Amino acid sequence: MIPNILSWLVFLPLAGALILLVIPRENKNVIRSLAAGTALITLILSLIVWSGFDRGASSAQMGVSYPWIDFGLLQINYELGIDGLSLPLLLLTTVVTTLGIFASFTIQDRIKEYFVWTLVLMTGMLGVFTALDLFLFFLFFELTLIPMFFIIGIWGGKKREYASFKFLIYTGLGSGVMFLAFIAMAFKGSEAIGAAEATFNMAALADIYANPANPEAVSAAFKTGLFAALLLAFAVKLPIFPLHTWLPDAYAEAPVAATMILAGVLSKLGAYGLLRIGYGILPDQAVSFATFIAVLAVINILYGACLALVQTDLKKLIAYASISHMGIILLGAASFTEAGLQGAIFQMVSHGVITALLFFMVGAIYERTKTRELSELGGLSKSIPVLTGFMLAAALASLGLPGLSGFVSELLAFIGIFGASPDVIPQAVPIAVIGALGIILTAAYLLWAVQRTAFGQLNERFTGLKDARPVEYIPMVGLLGVSLLIGIYPNVLSDVINSTVIDFVSRIGG
Amino acid sequence: MLSFDADWSLMTPEIVLAAAALLIFTIDFMTGINGKKPFIGRLSIVALLATAALVLFWNGGNSGSIGDMFVVDPFSTAFKILILTGTAIVIGISMYYLDRHPDVYQGEFYSLLLFASLGAMLMVSSADLITLFIGLEILSISAYCMAGFKKYSKKSTEAAVKYVVLGGTASAFILYGMSFMYGLTGTTSLVEIGAQIGSLFDAYPFLVMMSLLFMLVGFGFKISVVPFHMWAPDVYEGAPTPVTSFLTVISKIAAFAIILRVFFTGFGGIYEEWGFIIAIVAAVTMIAGNLIALTQHNVKRLMAYSGIAQAGYLLVPIAAFVTLDMTVSVILFYAVAYMVMTLGAFAVITIVTESSGSEDILSFSGLYRRSPFLAIAMSAFLISLAGLPVSAGFTGKAWIFFQAISADMLWLAVIMIVTSIVSFFYYFGIIRQMFMKEPKEKEGQLRIPAGMSGIVTVTLIFTLGLGILPFLLINFFTTMQWMAF
Repeated sequence: MIPNILSWLVFLPLAGALILLVIPRENKNVIRSLAAGTALITLILSLIVWSGFDRGASSAQMGVSYPWIDFGLLQINYELGIDGLSLPLLLLTTVVTTLGIFASFTIQDRIKEYFVWTLVLMTGMLGVFTALDLFLFFLFFELTLIPMFFIIGIWGGKKREYASFKFLIYTGLGSGVMFLAFIAMAFKGSEAIGAAEATFNMAALADIYANPANPEAVSAAFKTGLFAALLLAFAVKLPIFPLHTWLPDAYAEAPVAATMILAGVLSKLGAYGLLRIGYGILPDQAVSFATFIAVLAVINILYGACLALVQTDLKKLIAYASISHMGIILLGAASFTEAGLQGAIFQMVSHGVITALLFFMVGAIYERTKTRELSELGGLSKSIPVLTGFMLAAALASLGLPGLSGFVSELLAFIGIFGASPDVIPQAVPIAVIGALGIILTAAYLLWAVQRTAFGQLNERFTGLKDARPVEYIPMVGLLGVSLLIGIYPNVLSDVINSTVIDFVSRIGG
Repeated sequence: MLSFDADWSLMTPEIVLAAAALLIFTIDFMTGINGKKPFIGRLSIVALLATAALVLFWNGGNSGSIGDMFVVDPFSTAFKILILTGTAIVIGISMYYLDRHPDVYQGEFYSLLLFASLGAMLMVSSADLITLFIGLEILSISAYCMAGFKKYSKKSTEAAVKYVVLGGTASAFILYGMSFMYGLTGTTSLVEIGAQIGSLFDAYPFLVMMSLLFMLVGFGFKISVVPFHMWAPDVYEGAPTPVTSFLTVISKIAAFAIILRVFFTGFGGIYEEWGFIIAIVAAVTMIAGNLIALTQHNVKRLMAYSGIAQAGYLLVPIAAFVTLDMTVSVILFYAVAYMVMTLGAFAVITIVTESSGSEDILSFSGLYRRSPFLAIAMSAFLISLAGLPVSAGFTGKAWIFFQAISADMLWLAVIMIVTSIVSFFYYFGIIRQMFMKEPKEKEGQLRIPAGMSGIVTVTLIFTLGLGILPFLLINFFTTMQWMAF
């Protein structure tokens, strides 16, 4: 294995972005292929990481660690590593971003900047999923904010500036709360063990907070407050009702490829942070919040689904569907069972590829019909059969058709919540049953949406539209392929995440 | 008491700078009052850099004092380097600015800037109320003159008058507060005041607090913290842009240095009595500065309120006291960050406002099309001011957070975070103009002279460099024992 491979992986896109900066803007094809090439090499590197990953171990692997900044009060290290939770998301990032870059080939305006920002964004996301130091985590987390602000604000739809500012402020506030929680966590932790310097190392903090000998300095109330703060911080990014209002705007206004990345990967940062830091460092507090989280999850599932039902704009419909599906991640995570956590991670990956595919299809259809209004669409299967075929497949994957990844994910998540220990969630079964209603609603709005888009009377305007171009097959086949692969052979994923999931569950109760 | 066999060589850099300032004044005088004089600007930069070299290599590792009045220690050395390099950058901006304003008499401008930085140097080296006041007045009086330098502009004249009246009042407050202290102790030496302060406070708590509060009012005016900030937006708007940058950066940093010296050397013994006052001032300043900045359309006024908010952040480490060396390190690091990002931003602002002839935020619209380099650099400065990674401003702010939390001042850290997020609105508002709006049709590519692009490049490198490699400075700072007194 290549030494320092994680650093290469994380910073390769950034290097690509820097190279792009010096290329004259007129060389559009050079810029496009360089961006795609960088992303492809990153994807290959992530596959190498995947193949070299030790499936039996639960702790972080392939780590690198260098001392970075010594603030006098606080030691910060440059520390990367991956485990069964980060690896699937790492691969999700490289896959979705690379395919997103191929999907961006249609962008004509300010191409160079666009790809520079996308590559910077990629580094930020990869960094979040590999960072083992809270400071580094925060740094990468914030690094994703700036490119997205520009991408939405420059290449977005009509209300792009409004959406980009809303995105910036909402997620910025979330980050602020998160940063405060991190600092409080580090300083109280060092106080508890009497260390002169605080640390931001996640593993070290997990040890400190798990040690029952440290209750004096870190009281139960403090830990509860800390977990609540983390939950609040990550809820914005996830997003959890009622902190979700930035999402429909951002998703609807962002350009197609950016929405793919935003919905596919960026929204997973919140879920990942909650699991990695909230569950990883404060497992007992997480358990005490389990019912609350499960209720939030059910609200998300139903609320998102209900709103999706009444949307008239196809892109907004999928945006709200996304809120609903993020709820399933949360529901699985709340259950604190192996199946549930597996389901959560499965759903992160599955939702990542499926939503990306859905948004891509919406983009492709919009590009041809120039409308996203469901009432204006219809009968498209007659004029663009391939595109509508993929659209249907994506919708079926999203509503959980067996054989596709959505099915495995939802199944695992619901098995988890039904089987949750009464100590963790006393009312698990009613919660699960109400949550399961979401599946019916999902089927309703997705099938209805596809029906109104693909079938029925063909609008005269839409005869003779061009069907899928070769370059469009890359993201379509790629994303659907991943979904199929996971759906048919879930082992490919569970194999990697099992040890980590077992480790997570075993940490409850000290 | 001061004796004349003291080690006067400690003052060499100041003496050299004073001589250079007088020499430049004379040369200027001999070459007539009209016309462009870029050579004087270049000469001034050389003088400043030579002085900085003297500070670094002549006084460098030494610590010493002239009769406990004029102190050379790592604290003063660090601040002097900041002041001198900052002034050199300001002169670089001025040369561009004056080049485009042939109607302005360029005469004394450069030597006034040198005198101002001389005053600032004296301030940061003072361990005595008298030398401190002299330094402060040399700086202030030079600044009053510079604020009114566009003498045919009503706004500039108004700024100068406002500044001289209010600045004079602030000086009077400081002097009044000092006189209380002198009356109580019979000395003006901060060291001696510091030695007596504990017992003094027990005997005369009211008088001691009055003295402290009067000085705080005066200093608060100089660093433009709420509620003594009213002058700043008007003066900053009216003054010539390079002078605005000098006031926002150099005079503010110097004033912070004397606040540190006076409050910790003189009043350090009764920290519990005034720490919370600083905390409240910091909180109010952060809130008001950031909120009012939201409503500004004039870039210079916006930067004034941004500067007020930033002064609030800089007060936090004083309020959240852990150790003196830590507080000084944190403030110095943020001062470095503040200097590079603010001066960089002002360099861009000068170019943009001069080319459009308007100071409205709209003059930034479509800057990306007109000069990608300037737009990207400006974004980096603004992102740094907003405190987002990867930038000097982020690291500096993070360090301030760390200190606030470790001093158990969670509420102050919360205010700082929330107000920082408020600041996203106005900083990113400028970014929006640059990247998301189209330029007005008639405006073509911006031409940037080499000197200005040099300034922007250097400040940009430091702004990003201190975000990525902050340990270069931090590791050095944390090992320092800053104050000899």
